[in-house]
Amino acid sequence: MMKVIPEGSRFRSRWDLLILVLIFVSCFLVPFQVGFVHDVRLTGSLLVYLIDLFFLVDIVFNFRTTYRHQGVEVVDPERIRRHYRRRMFPFDLLAAVPFEILLLPWASVSAAGVSIVLLVRLLRLLRIGRLFVIFRRWEALGATNVGFLRIAKLVAVVVLFLHWTACAWFLMDFAGGFPAQSWVAHQDLQNAGAGTQYTRSLYWAIVTMTAVGYGDITPRNNLEYGFAMTVMLLGASLWAYIIGNIASLVSNIDSAKAAFWNRVETVNQYLRNRQVPAELSEQVRDYYDYVWARYRGTDAREVLGGLPDPVRLDVLAHLARDLTEHVPLFRECSPPLRNVLLLALQPKVFVPGSWVVHTGESGTEIYFVTSGHMEIVSIEDERVYGTLTGGDYFGDLSLLLGEKRTASVRAVTFCEVFTLGREDFNAIKSEYPEFRDVLKKISSERSAMSTELLLEGVIL
Amino acid sequence: MNISTRDAGGVAVVDVEGNLDTNTAPEAQQHLDALQDDGAQKILVNFTDLDYISSAGLRVLLATAKRMGAAGGSFRICGLNETVDEVFEISGFSMILNVFGNEAEALEGF
Repeated sequence: MMKVIPEGSRFRSRWDLLILVLIFVSCFLVPFQVGFVHDVRLTGSLLVYLIDLFFLVDIVFNFRTTYRHQGVEVVDPERIRRHYRRRMFPFDLLAAVPFEILLLPWASVSAAGVSIVLLVRLLRLLRIGRLFVIFRRWEALGATNVGFLRIAKLVAVVVLFLHWTACAWFLMDFAGGFPAQSWVAHQDLQNAGAGTQYTRSLYWAIVTMTAVGYGDITPRNNLEYGFAMTVMLLGASLWAYIIGNIASLVSNIDSAKAAFWNRVETVNQYLRNRQVPAELSEQVRDYYDYVWARYRGTDAREVLGGLPDPVRLDVLAHLARDLTEHVPLFRECSPPLRNVLLLALQPKVFVPGSWVVHTGESGTEIYFVTSGHMEIVSIEDERVYGTLTGGDYFGDLSLLLGEKRTASVRAVTFCEVFTLGREDFNAIKSEYPEFRDVLKKISSERSAMSTELLLEGVIL
Repeated sequence: MNISTRDAGGVAVVDVEGNLDTNTAPEAQQHLDALQDDGAQKILVNFTDLDYISSAGLRVLLATAKRMGAAGGSFRICGLNETVDEVFEISGFSMILNVFGNEAEALEGF
């Protein structure tokens, strides 16, 4: 039995990208041949047939590519085949198989001046349906920023619309034998090269669609007026829709960034209004700068809050993989305990000069320093009792003994800590007796300092 | 707090009963200092009947352990209840203080 191709696989994504490019090439090439070349040429035909080969292979792949039904990836080959056969297959088949080959002996037979082979070749335009399938798949898979994808899709639609309009605008007069009262005759383009004819047609399509209307190329007969009015109505609506969408998408393309800096601006404004001292405001700004540079402003816990615990845990474990390897607390833990800690620990960031804990507070949390440099300070005489760096922890004595802190801790550099609240601490301790051993192990490295601090009357 | 000393084969066993906190710590410190001043080389503090210990109490123990260590003596603790045992382990003091489960264990090989 043939293997299925997961829709999110690297191979499928790369193949889709190739198919996307080929859809564009064929949707450009075939209307151009019909509109400006009119008869069957060897080079153009070979190129079209070569592309057809890829689309025939694509059909084979499509019969094996998984799809999603109500959020679940369907991997059963029979269901995949049935699903594709009933949906896109008829269109893909019509668009991929070069039926026109059967008409090649009669290539000189034409309708409205265009070879019947080329007219049948227009079936390739059905490939545009696959373009939407690919975009939809990429959006669903979150392959890239959804905003970018939507913009790309809209741009693709506009470009193809303009191209097809340009081809049809010229073909209309060609089919009518270039009447004297026609835009082509008026521009004297009957015998111009295909390049010039195409450029002028495309120019008219763009000018009309964007409602610029210079008036240098204008309709000259009723058919042209009818066509121009249709393009104006369709084009202007499409243009307005697209510009509106692009504007909205661009402003939302990095919504996290926008939301973060909006919040910062609100805080700044507030600090200014309340005349908070410049030094303090600076600290607030430093904090936001750091959080942005380090985490792109996203609070993982907030974003991942809606996920079920096992999934959230996997994501958190991945994000914290550096910490779990280097921070002593995590390094000494068994995987189940590490998982529980990851869910319970709250990350916090402190800017240089800010107070982490204050003298006189009752301890409700234990602080695990993951990076940075802190000082244990007496608020009475600014005496520094000691320093804390990555791997150290404090807050345990105050929490365990139920006594108030007798010293403060100040961040010297940017510091990152994890805090563990009293309830979580007690719950984890009773559920995982190993936790005490882990703390005992990591506390051994700081026992000399803990002793000296306590002898000096420092309780944190 | 009640604090008393008895001899157990050359070891001064100090029984502490009640609360060892800011109020009672000075008395405990005096008691232990006096024992050292009298030349005790082996001191075991038995906390079996201790109800509560505060940071001031911990300080007494650490100071005594330090002083005994410097003088070449030996200082042990036994009979810690769950909470106190936890403080010792989590806060890193069990590395400095010799903690034993009960008096018999502590006296063995003293």
